[in-house]
Amino acid sequence: MTGRRNLFGAAAVAVALVLVASACGRSANTSTPTPGSSATAGLVVTSPKGTAPVGSIVWAVYRDVNSLDPIYAFDYPENTADSLMCESLLRQAPDGSIGPGIATLSTPNATTLVFTIKPGVTFWNGNPVTPDDVVYSLERNTDPKWAGFYPQVFNRVQSIEATGSDQVTITLKQPDYWLQGELASIPGIVLEKSFVEQQGKNYGTPAGKIMCTGAYMFQSFKPGVGVTAIANPHYWNPAVHPLVQSILIKGISDVNTFTSGMLTGAVQGAYDFGIPTLDQLKSNSNVKVYTGPGWSTDAFIVDNLKGPLGNVKVRQALSYALDRQGMIDSVYKGAALMPRWQSNPGTFGYGTSVFNAAYNSSPVMNQDMAKAKSLMQEAGASGQTITIGMSSQLVNIAAIAGAYAAAGKAIGLNVKLKSVSAANYINFFIDPKARAGVDGFLTVNYGDYADPASLLATFVLPGGSQNFDGYNNPKITSDLETARSTADPNKRAQLVSDAEKIAAVDLPWIPNLQPTNLLILSKNVTGAVASFAYMFAPWADNLGGTGSS
Amino acid sequence: MLLASLLVASFVIFAAMYLAPGNPIAALSGGRSLPPDSLRILEQRYHLNEPFLVQYWYWLRNVLHGNLGISITLRENVSTLIASRIWTTAGLVLYASIIILTIGIGLGVLSGLRHGALDTSTLVVTGISAAIPAFVAAIVLILLFAVKLGWFPALGNGTSFLSNVRHLTLPAFALAVSSLAIVARVTRASVREESTREHVQTAVSRGIPTRQVIWRHVLRNAAIPVTTISGITIASLIALAAVVEVAFSLNGLGAYLVGSAQSKDLAVVQGISLVLVTAFVVVNMLVDILYAVLDPRVSLGGRAE
Repeated sequence: MTGRRNLFGAAAVAVALVLVASACGRSANTSTPTPGSSATAGLVVTSPKGTAPVGSIVWAVYRDVNSLDPIYAFDYPENTADSLMCESLLRQAPDGSIGPGIATLSTPNATTLVFTIKPGVTFWNGNPVTPDDVVYSLERNTDPKWAGFYPQVFNRVQSIEATGSDQVTITLKQPDYWLQGELASIPGIVLEKSFVEQQGKNYGTPAGKIMCTGAYMFQSFKPGVGVTAIANPHYWNPAVHPLVQSILIKGISDVNTFTSGMLTGAVQGAYDFGIPTLDQLKSNSNVKVYTGPGWSTDAFIVDNLKGPLGNVKVRQALSYALDRQGMIDSVYKGAALMPRWQSNPGTFGYGTSVFNAAYNSSPVMNQDMAKAKSLMQEAGASGQTITIGMSSQLVNIAAIAGAYAAAGKAIGLNVKLKSVSAANYINFFIDPKARAGVDGFLTVNYGDYADPASLLATFVLPGGSQNFDGYNNPKITSDLETARSTADPNKRAQLVSDAEKIAAVDLPWIPNLQPTNLLILSKNVTGAVASFAYMFAPWADNLGGTGSS
Repeated sequence: MLLASLLVASFVIFAAMYLAPGNPIAALSGGRSLPPDSLRILEQRYHLNEPFLVQYWYWLRNVLHGNLGISITLRENVSTLIASRIWTTAGLVLYASIIILTIGIGLGVLSGLRHGALDTSTLVVTGISAAIPAFVAAIVLILLFAVKLGWFPALGNGTSFLSNVRHLTLPAFALAVSSLAIVARVTRASVREESTREHVQTAVSRGIPTRQVIWRHVLRNAAIPVTTISGITIASLIALAAVVEVAFSLNGLGAYLVGSAQSKDLAVVQGISLVLVTAFVVVNMLVDILYAVLDPRVSLGGRAE
């Protein structure tokens, strides 16, 4: 349809060919980290703090922002804009750990969460944040009138009430330690009640304005131009001094346009992953690329357990036959980690040593053709056919589908690719008719906060939002349900690790690789958060000039 | 005529968008699954659960009342959204048209009247550039004039008139390059043809000054096919602008149309289509009027004989 698509198509074919060519004969990865060492060693969670004032900068996102109302923020552009300007009750640090946000939390018992608003927290207009604002903001998430995207997050909540002049109490039906993660993410963002009510249905649209508490405040939202935020001179937290006068968040859909924007200085920064022009950006002296922990997983979603993939041995055989290192090298240009689990090790936001020890004791998902072939033989599945949903217009997805076709062929499994347009790819996720006849499709997927359970729960728990095939493993289910109600972070991490270890063998999804988070900056600005935490918590508080322009 | 075109076009586009798989609500979430309750409420709000003809009727009734509807993704009036972008596309198409008309016709006339090196090199250059699609031209121009030389910005719109012109220069050339070549070649051919006509030879043999012969007899007659081809290419720029707008990240209607069609934002697709169809019809009408000016034998509203 457009130049970008044509180019992407051509690039996809080229990448797929490279993968097919390298699918055979690659030796196994032999790295063996010591137990307990960090699975994300070598990655940085933030870039060095900025020191000098900066005028205005342009920050790229992959398409235009659609809404600034957090209850409709469900994708990269909206999250990036909301987390720049708005703050949640709790806050995720760049390393994924959860701490106080605009409020502190105490838990007198397992079903009671008491939030105390920090003294002096004000909205941009100078008004103090009140318990009423907090209650209103949280309840908007579940109010059917608004039809927000996060109601299920609150399904263990009994009530949310103002219980003091600076206090809000959440009472739970049963213990829920996942809620804290969500309240440190987009669903926990606090807005001013009177302002939202006065804006009505215009709140967060280009016709309206927004009111939050962050170090950068809203200036304008012009469709086609972007969202402009300016430094808030009266930010409530005296420890933070926003140094950038104005930040324009601009949708740039074409990768080549974005790249030349970075090279020429028309764009000063962006977050991305698996970008085809990474080498060009890295080698340019005007650009600095930071690699941080990612919280997303590139995976093959198994959506039909009635076909050949219903047999766990076939799933395992396919997984062993995959050339994952080839995908990392040619599709992600090296910006990804080999998987051991379903979830990205970047998500170890609590119980870190427990997670790392368990993770390091799990095998790396290396290619092993001998094992793959013998599993196929045991399953008696040779000559069977699976259909993979993909889009030849989406370069990464097309390339990885090509790798699956090569892997299938090598072990005697026929792989049929069912290509749809990029615009229609979404239907695999939302339309059972689109999934009919498709055994699996490809995705890059993430949860709302740094916890492996956050993504895992969506596709292994019965009724999970991405459990398309009715997968149910009682042990995984009970581990995760118990984890959700367990207060001690290390015990919770152990339960989640147990579930991950089973899922890494049972393969409800087949993880392909674990993307790292790329922070791409002009050489004269620095200080942005480099981990995937940018999606859920302020990322520009330390952004500023390097002082050496 | 215009109204009929608009009605037919709007129905066809509406039907095509309706039949294409996908869901505008789901496009909001970037592919992640939404809670079923939220999905249901949003579908009711935007009448997405109604039958096709009912949906079309809602839309048509609103348009007849001067209301183009509301964008689902931006929750904003479509007319406001179009108004904020129309000048980018108009400016881009106008700029490209000026380039095509001045350089294209200029080159064509020059190489038509003069044989030799200029003519040969024009033929070669236009032969190649006619085959360059706009998106390739965009990549080459960005690489050369933005990244390597730094003369022009690589993307975006400007803030003042002059900076807008600067920002639109590369996009306008990217958009113009292949049409320019075609216009130049057609102009050259028709100038050549007219120069060898009997009445031109006669005029020359009667001793009428060359300058006058060229203006009155060659160029005036050559103007008819040139007008035709210019009209067609300029009208096609309106549709082609989308590609260039995406490549240069301009906030024009074309790029917006592509984006909206992808996210199935029906009211926006319909609104922009109406604008583009109108522009297309208007350009063609202007060409018809120009015919009548150039050639008194053509009468407006008359049937072809």
